[in-house]
Amino acid sequence: MESTLAAPSESQSSASPIVRATGLERVYGEGQAEVRALDGVDVEFEKGRFTSIMGPSGSGKSTLMHILAGLDKPTAGTVEIDGQDITGLDDGELTQLRRDKLGFVFQFFNLLPVLTAEENILLPLSIARKKPDREWVDQVIDRVGLTDRRDHRPSELSGGQQQRVAVARALVTKPAVLFADEPTGNLDSKASEDVLKMLRAAVDETGQTVIMVTHEPDAAAHGDRLIALRDGKLVHDAPPVSADNVIELLKTLG
Amino acid sequence: MLSLTFKNLWARKWRSMMTAVAVIFGIALVAGTYILTDTTNQAFDQIFNESLAGTDVVVTAKSEVDQQDGSTPAFPAKILKKVDQVDGVKVAAGSIFTQGAILDDKGDSVGGGFAPQFIASTGPRVFEAVTYPQGHPPTSAHEATLDEAAADRADLKLGDTIELVGTRKAVPFRLVGLTQLGGSSFGGSSIAQVELPVAQKITGKEGEYDQISIAADSGVSPEELRDRVSEVVPKGLRVETAQENADRNASEIRDSLQFLTIALLAFAAIALFVGSFVIFNVFSITVAQRTREFGMLRTLGASRRQILSTVMIEGLIIGLVGSLLGLLVGYGLAAGLSAVLKAVGAELPANSLQVLPRTIIVSLLIGVGVTLVSSLIPAFRSTRVPPIAALSENLEVGGKNRVVVRTVIAVLLGLLGLALVATALIGGKDGGSGAAQIGAGAVCVLIAISIFAPKLVSPAARIIGAPLERFGGLTGRLARENAQRNPSRTAVTAAALMIGLALIAFVTIFASGLSSSVNKVIEDQLPGEIILQGQGGILPFPAGAVTVVQKVDGVEAASGVRYVSAKVDGKTASISSVDPADIVKVYTVEWEEGSDSDLTGLTDGQIVIGNKLADSLDVGVGDKVTLTSQKGQKFPFQVSAIMKTDSIALAGEGIISQSSMARDFNQKSDAVGLVKLDTGADLDQTQTAIEDALKKQDFPTVDVLNQGELKDQQKSQINGLLAMIYVLLALAVIVSLVGIVVTLILSIYERTRELGMLRAVGMSRRQVKRMVRYEAVITAVIGAVSGLIVGVIFAFLIGIPLSGDGFNLSYPIGTLILILILTAVAGVIAAIYPARKAAKLDVLEAVSYE
Repeated sequence: MESTLAAPSESQSSASPIVRATGLERVYGEGQAEVRALDGVDVEFEKGRFTSIMGPSGSGKSTLMHILAGLDKPTAGTVEIDGQDITGLDDGELTQLRRDKLGFVFQFFNLLPVLTAEENILLPLSIARKKPDREWVDQVIDRVGLTDRRDHRPSELSGGQQQRVAVARALVTKPAVLFADEPTGNLDSKASEDVLKMLRAAVDETGQTVIMVTHEPDAAAHGDRLIALRDGKLVHDAPPVSADNVIELLKTLG
Repeated sequence: MLSLTFKNLWARKWRSMMTAVAVIFGIALVAGTYILTDTTNQAFDQIFNESLAGTDVVVTAKSEVDQQDGSTPAFPAKILKKVDQVDGVKVAAGSIFTQGAILDDKGDSVGGGFAPQFIASTGPRVFEAVTYPQGHPPTSAHEATLDEAAADRADLKLGDTIELVGTRKAVPFRLVGLTQLGGSSFGGSSIAQVELPVAQKITGKEGEYDQISIAADSGVSPEELRDRVSEVVPKGLRVETAQENADRNASEIRDSLQFLTIALLAFAAIALFVGSFVIFNVFSITVAQRTREFGMLRTLGASRRQILSTVMIEGLIIGLVGSLLGLLVGYGLAAGLSAVLKAVGAELPANSLQVLPRTIIVSLLIGVGVTLVSSLIPAFRSTRVPPIAALSENLEVGGKNRVVVRTVIAVLLGLLGLALVATALIGGKDGGSGAAQIGAGAVCVLIAISIFAPKLVSPAARIIGAPLERFGGLTGRLARENAQRNPSRTAVTAAALMIGLALIAFVTIFASGLSSSVNKVIEDQLPGEIILQGQGGILPFPAGAVTVVQKVDGVEAASGVRYVSAKVDGKTASISSVDPADIVKVYTVEWEEGSDSDLTGLTDGQIVIGNKLADSLDVGVGDKVTLTSQKGQKFPFQVSAIMKTDSIALAGEGIISQSSMARDFNQKSDAVGLVKLDTGADLDQTQTAIEDALKKQDFPTVDVLNQGELKDQQKSQINGLLAMIYVLLALAVIVSLVGIVVTLILSIYERTRELGMLRAVGMSRRQVKRMVRYEAVITAVIGAVSGLIVGVIFAFLIGIPLSGDGFNLSYPIGTLILILILTAVAGVIAAIYPARKAAKLDVLEAVSYE
């Protein structure tokens, strides 16, 4: 869409960062068994952009996302979301943060089998005891193409459809950041493409911020920006050019 | 979120129902107990009210000391004259209502079961509460009526002969009427009515009444008349309005049912306690299986409190449903039980079952309470699921095994429990509070054991699984591994079973100890070969019977023993009297201080006292004690010797002379007769001769037993009680078996993928089934073995302080092994459904299961 959104990150665009991580370190275990999953990572994510995080297994990409999303605590360093330092928050404050500002899409869909598609989508609102904005809900459901499936149970939906329900569930609260953890890891290529397009559309049409961990070059290529980690360090940060280009990059990372 | 809870419950309805079963049984017993006792109480209220229909004021004698047969003392008939003269008395009449025996023309008792039989007098029409569906009231000294239900039971018609036995020989009467009391039956008891003088004569109450009924002049209130009558009657009598009398009688019935209620509720508590283990397990497993779901909900912004409340609300609903179903089952139980009681002749007074609001409220509160408390720990565990659990594939929650904390808690609880049991036993607390303390102690110990149990599961499974591995090969091995895989799950399942079996083992050992101790007492202390007792061992028999037996050929000596309940220095005790001439020939007393000559030389005013009573009163030989009779009269006695109290208490807790007994306590009937035969006399022949002589001399209510028969009788009484306890404990065992079923099904659900893999690599359905069955057997046997061990230890501990009283435990090894085998079989039965479910899994679906 607009070229400004696709601008390379090193240009330090005027868009304000919605997520800012400074000096992140995460150490598991002690002594001989010590593993430095993150080893000094500084990174910012701007509003309304779609960032992919890549890296070989053990690179720390999942740990980074967990810490950014407040699911794990760093050994050192801070994370700010929308100007709020989240590293010191207690469980109640984190719960509130998730309700107000975060959305999640998982590899294994994680839908409740006892609820219909629409009930699953509305779940975050009913948890927070918020009244759904009907118009917005319809729009979200329409956008993920589930209007005629809204009363189906997850077991009656295909994998791709289930993941679209999960995307809609993440979008329905208009989160400041949407975290996606290998969202296409369990889907065939057609379904993957659908899901990624939806995430892309959310960024382009409503200015949604998306941070996605993936190991699929095709998926990463849908983003505005690609960061890569290796041995707990940030080793690459640039807009992706094409899937082939990403594959090349991965090869250099080993 | 609330609707989510409901949907989850509905989606897991099968599991939820099985969980509800854990409370259904216990609550059914609670509700059934209440319904049954309320119905009985209400029926007796009605009986007492109806029987006093035309009566305004009632005069009876106060009973200073409650007698075991529940009888009240009679009072002199001349009091009626004084009552008659009171202003406002329209009619006053004395009556007799005394326990006796009613026999049909063949000499068989008309009553069924243990229900009492009464001999009553007829009176003026105004007081007569009964109606005559057939015949009429007796019009001569040779006529009698009988209640319709008893006549039906004994198949008696008008014109038939019945015999009545009071304190004298049996007397024949012609049956001229069948009676009915209002709309209700007499509650299984039989009542024969004869004319007043006849009734007085039969019951040995010539010149006495059991009761005076008074009707007031119009315009005089019952209360007013009661006060006026009170002024003219002696102090030992009680004057009440009819209402007060009915209320008091009803409340006495209530009190006597209290024990039964408490006993039944105790079994309900056991079933619920076992059920709480099952609930705990189901919730623990469910929470573990929903870890990812809880994590996901947390990422969507659900707070810990919301997670907690979804789990707790599930508990609440399951508890509510379980309690409601329990109430229904309880109602059915009460209906079934009253039908059973009717069939054995102890029918409840005909009435609709009473379901009081209290029954419903208590059932719901207990059912919901137990479920909530049991699901508390799993519910809190669910709140510890971190949001990140949504992203991980396998995550054990609460995996921190705080071994030290657990062990400390287990040890402390165990010690507390043992201390409670020990202090209750040593402190000699009486009945209720002592039993409650022992119960609380046992609960502590059992919980302590189950906290510690997961540690024991692995070695136990290895030992118990060894033979299965040998015969079952790989399936046996896998079954054992499965049982060990989640030790706390297996432990809790087995612990539920352990509780029931520990109690079963305990009562089995205790009953067997009781039987053998009683046998030992009979052998050691009754040198006489024959024992006489009143019909069914309950009612005393006429004094003349022993005299008849003494004259039978082959009898060397026969001696009757009489009993009365009296207060000895304020403490109620059972006191006996014996015939000093022959007693030492037929009864061996073990002396603490004294000798047989103290017994043969026993004079009026002397008492031989049991060592326990002597200890608790702190009296010794030569000391004075005061005995208070039922009528409240006080008599001084001097302790002449101290005997050891035996466990069948044949001599009661004190022995006085025959003449003191008759004069001071008005007891002229024998309860037991001890007979010694001449050396060389044939036992069978002499026994038959004694029976014939008693029949011929019109003493049909005396049972003649030889030692073997007496032992059998005692044993069958103990076994009867034991059978009842087994049935009640079976409820708890069934609940724990349901626990095995649910746990297996949940585990299979968890292992779907693994089972699919096993099938994919060639395991047959039959092997899958066998594997599940073996796992059930291992769990069941762990529960059974630990239960038997705990039961044996408890019996041993509780037996220690009792051994001084001549109570010796004996361990029925055969029975215990049989119980073990039955439990293993029950495990196989419990596995039927889960095994079928596991075998039915579709291979492909199982492998691709997500």
